[in-house]
Amino acid sequence: MRNFWLIAKHEYLKIVRKKSFLVGTLWVPAMITVVMVVSILASLGQRGELPLGYVDHTGLLSDAVTLSPDADGKTPLTMRAFSDEAAAHQALMDEAIQAYYVIPADYVQSGRAQLFYLDQRPAEVAQQDFRAFLRANLLADYPADIQRRMIEGSAITFRSSDGSQELESRNVMAFIVPFAAAFFFVFAVMNSGSYMLQAITDEKENRTIEVLATSMRPGELVGGKALGLMSVGLTQLGIWLLTGVLALFIASFFVPEVQGVRIPWTLLGVVALFFFPAYALIAGLMTAVGGIVSDLRQGQQISGIMNLFFMLPFFFMTLIMAKPNSPVIVVMTLFPTTAFVTITMRWAMTTVPLWQLAVSWVLLVASAGASVWLATRIFRIGMLHYGQTLRVKTILARLRAERS
Amino acid sequence: MTTVQVAHVSKSFGDVKAVQDVSFEVYPGEVFGLLGPNGAGKTTTIRMMLDIFRPDRGEITIFDGKLTEAKKNRIGYMPEDRGLYKDLKLEPTLLFLATLKGIDEATARARLDPWLERFDLTGFRQQKVQNLSKGMQQKAQLIATLLHDPELLVVDEPFAGLDPVNTRLVKNIIEELRQQGKTIIMSAHQMHQVEELCNRILLIDHGRNVLYGEVDKIKRDFAGNALAIEGQGDFTNLPGVLEARQHNSTWHLTLDVGVDPQDVLRALVRQEDVKLERFEVAEPSLEDIFVTVVQRPEHEEAANA
Repeated sequence: MRNFWLIAKHEYLKIVRKKSFLVGTLWVPAMITVVMVVSILASLGQRGELPLGYVDHTGLLSDAVTLSPDADGKTPLTMRAFSDEAAAHQALMDEAIQAYYVIPADYVQSGRAQLFYLDQRPAEVAQQDFRAFLRANLLADYPADIQRRMIEGSAITFRSSDGSQELESRNVMAFIVPFAAAFFFVFAVMNSGSYMLQAITDEKENRTIEVLATSMRPGELVGGKALGLMSVGLTQLGIWLLTGVLALFIASFFVPEVQGVRIPWTLLGVVALFFFPAYALIAGLMTAVGGIVSDLRQGQQISGIMNLFFMLPFFFMTLIMAKPNSPVIVVMTLFPTTAFVTITMRWAMTTVPLWQLAVSWVLLVASAGASVWLATRIFRIGMLHYGQTLRVKTILARLRAERS
Repeated sequence: MTTVQVAHVSKSFGDVKAVQDVSFEVYPGEVFGLLGPNGAGKTTTIRMMLDIFRPDRGEITIFDGKLTEAKKNRIGYMPEDRGLYKDLKLEPTLLFLATLKGIDEATARARLDPWLERFDLTGFRQQKVQNLSKGMQQKAQLIATLLHDPELLVVDEPFAGLDPVNTRLVKNIIEELRQQGKTIIMSAHQMHQVEELCNRILLIDHGRNVLYGEVDKIKRDFAGNALAIEGQGDFTNLPGVLEARQHNSTWHLTLDVGVDPQDVLRALVRQEDVKLERFEVAEPSLEDIFVTVVQRPEHEEAANA
């Protein structure tokens, strides 16, 4: 058992110290940082200091009310009325305003208006201010609380009948997190699988495998490698998760919408539950491939096909969104290689029945155990076939011989 | 009591019979040579001994029983040619491999310094293995085999890639280990490199036992089968001579079993174009003996079977 831990530690450190691992892991935090900075800059950026102008042909804004500061205390832009387009245009040319709207006489019927600007369109927040101003004046005759509700819109919470799932229409994270988890999982699986494959083929090629095989049981060797690989995956996901949470925390100071974001803890729990067996499965499969093939290139070809079995749900994304409970999707939920990604993506669209989660998890754990068991045996058979590819017939014959 | 006992072991890979009915015993404190040309079955035999391969037939016992996990820690194995992580630094690689053999890192670290110094590798401890020369890698591999202080050493082609100075160094170390009471099994295809070290040998060819026993006794048995000749003329195609090799100005002749050296001398004297300057009945080398044995008709029949 001691060697099991030594192999796990060695495998873990060997991978995380590689430059390719650092690059592969840090690109996500780098991307999140860029997105966060851009979002913050965009939110700070500003309504612009200049007022917005408007030419009202409906007469509805003749006695316009001004908007009061919002809940965060931010004062909306000043809206300046112009009698005609020429006056508004002149003000624009004089840079007295940043842009102006022309509201035609049939606005109430058509809902159409025009925005004129010089070379830079007003920021989205500035346009939101004008839309809020317009709505407030259209609703001028209504009580203040109704005005506020109409301007802010509604927040509907979708709850499944058994209470197992809850989705808030304003909580975009409930939709983003499952898809992000699925994407990052597949990415991590492909990365880890490739590390594992390379480690095994390298050890076969440099004959270190002979030294290892004469120091421990094959089970300790393969199991230790699987654990090391899982730890690598966990480190990678941990860094990504931590960066994401940190980014949300920082962004919440600058982007008010982020404050309403809730982390879908139930989903994260399910992700954690499926993560380890899914990794053990890929570790077992890659070890078996590494044991069979003669060189890394051949292994990469086989692992490429194998990765497709993990990525399959992405090809069915439209179906998952349209009919998340269709039989094909249920089968993919239960099938070990597709379970993780299918479940996480379905999570955003529907309530995944508990029995499906349970059956899927049991099948995944069983197949992970089987893959590690099989890998141990194939590994023993194939590890010293240096420069030779093992044929299925040979493997089966040897497996039978070992059992007898 | 035997350290290793291999009894009637056979192993095939598909249609290739790699090892056929090989038997030998290795006793505590001796240097045992597993000799034979490339592809003779030496490495396969070693791998079966160490439970990397399972034999199709036959029995192997190590330290008077089956090879258990605990016994693995009493063995140091150096595979042929390679056996180290190329992309890792030398020191962590050696420490890692030593800890897999049951010793803690502090002990391994304490033992490492003297070995690095002795093999002149101290300055390379933080170098990646792939940046070391082939000879340095071979020495590093030997350290990995010795660091956990094993009772039984199995070294496959220990002199491959070593220059004469390092070959001498490794031979000295093997001799020291023998004096410490360690058992050493070494395989080699260049027999002259190991014959001075080995107490006993097994000569193996085409996967079969060819010669087995004490080196001195084997040499005594085959004395008179080798000649050293100097002179001018054609020394090939002489009757009763299995092989004629020229080294510098000396011809080494290997005689067939039962051929009298005096008959060869008479044949040479009869040839008018031959001028003899030296004619000596030599002690045969293991290589000469090997050639004599593998060219016997009964052996050729067995090898082709």
